[in-house]
Amino acid sequence: MSRVCLVCQNIDCKARGSEPLMVELQKRIADKGLNDVEVKPYMCFGACQEGPNIVLYPEKNWYAKVKVEDLDDITAHLAGGPHVQRLDTIDSSLKELIYQLLDTGVI
Amino acid sequence: MEGILFPRGVAEEREGLAAYRARGGYEALAKALKTDADEVIKVVSDAGLRGRGGAGFPTGKKWQFTREAPEQPRYLVMNGGEDEPGSKKDRVLLENLPHLVIEGAILAAYAIGAAKAYLYINARYDDAIKSVNDALAEAKSAGYWGDNILGSSFNLEFEVVPAPHNYVAGEDTAVLEVIEGKKPLPRQKPPFPVTVGLFGKPTSVNNVETLANVAPIILKGADWYRKFGTAESPGTMIFSLNDDVRRPGIYELPFGTPLRYLIEECGGGMKGGRKIKAIMPAAPSSAFLPADKIDTPLDHNSMRDAGTGLGCGVVRLIAEGTCIVEEVLKISEFFTAESCGQCPACRMETNTLTMMMKKVQAGQGGQPILEQFGKILAFNKGKGFCNLIAMPGPPIESAIKLFPGDFEAHLTTGKCLAH
Repeated sequence: MSRVCLVCQNIDCKARGSEPLMVELQKRIADKGLNDVEVKPYMCFGACQEGPNIVLYPEKNWYAKVKVEDLDDITAHLAGGPHVQRLDTIDSSLKELIYQLLDTGVI
Repeated sequence: MEGILFPRGVAEEREGLAAYRARGGYEALAKALKTDADEVIKVVSDAGLRGRGGAGFPTGKKWQFTREAPEQPRYLVMNGGEDEPGSKKDRVLLENLPHLVIEGAILAAYAIGAAKAYLYINARYDDAIKSVNDALAEAKSAGYWGDNILGSSFNLEFEVVPAPHNYVAGEDTAVLEVIEGKKPLPRQKPPFPVTVGLFGKPTSVNNVETLANVAPIILKGADWYRKFGTAESPGTMIFSLNDDVRRPGIYELPFGTPLRYLIEECGGGMKGGRKIKAIMPAAPSSAFLPADKIDTPLDHNSMRDAGTGLGCGVVRLIAEGTCIVEEVLKISEFFTAESCGQCPACRMETNTLTMMMKKVQAGQGGQPILEQFGKILAFNKGKGFCNLIAMPGPPIESAIKLFPGDFEAHLTTGKCLAH
């Protein structure tokens, strides 16, 4: 299974710029030649106040309040670089809820 | 037993002013105008009238809250949006008994101290809108509304507002938005309409059937009304049966009547003589009842104790041989489509549930996916401006609990147990 970057496109995340963010992420991933990574829109992860939210799966990394300035660090992480600790702010119980859902194939 | 709204069986033809007056029409209004508004509220409260739009809230209490709200002016709004799939009771009342409804609305306006009443009617109900407009003209000529009604100091104006026919347009606060000329989007509550309603003023929003009960209550009294129904749910309710029975239609029954009576005696049982697999007493948002609960009384408390609800009385039957997974997927898709989309949590919940149910239908996700439904519902509980977010839960969770075989079949083979 290839890796996916799920970018929330619900109302709050969109209002915080998740649409252009997704386009830019797509571009940077292509520029880096990460052919096994697919960027996909996702309905919602339920962390609206923390948006834009990006979840990397199956690695299960959740980056919140992502800005365009953060995308290089995220793509670096996807290329084998370090986890972006400063964006990892979501409560573990919510993470678990969403990861379990993704594990059942709802992607 | 005689009915309250339909004393001689369901009205098949439009009742004009003369016929309505010949059976005591507008006598309740004359009687009420000789007493004060508090007395009207007291009689309706003593009668135990509960809203028929779905929530079952005590009508007298709603009127009391509206009347006690300090702001002026106050408004009465009749909710005839009737967007619940399969519901046709409000349409029949508006088309055939417009004066019964209008007299109820005048009494309600008098009780809350409103000088303006809006009649919000499903825009697709051309005949109902015409019937109500004609009845309003007749009633105005007779002095039942306008200035100094029947020689009193009570003045009331009416306005008919066509209602958009999407599902949330029937939600109380979405109704207010439409009347204010805006899109049908529910408002955040509190504040509730009784304090901050139409144009920010105290407003009582009452369902058509609720208002139709008012004149009989005022005319004949609370004790008479309480001869029908149960202590907690006095009176009668109109139930809608659709194409799944031999005799589809609407039926007025006293609260507490066993569900079996509605299905078998009124509806003639399932079409084609099929056996019942499940019953949805308040389609599409109630929990399913298994077929062996067919003797559950049709009243608020009995339905609650049986784990389901009464809603606005659209009773749906699911036949043996029907796949519950397919049924629940349709229900889930309905709520996803009808979510107005303004609350992120509602979009998240309804879309996620539908995505999950599609996975189940396709045989993906195994048992773990079934465990996720409750978690997604619990996560979103209490979020969202209106109650739509709470609606997919009861059908989905009851289906998983009552019919595990249907889900197991899909999850292991990707096909229906039924096929």
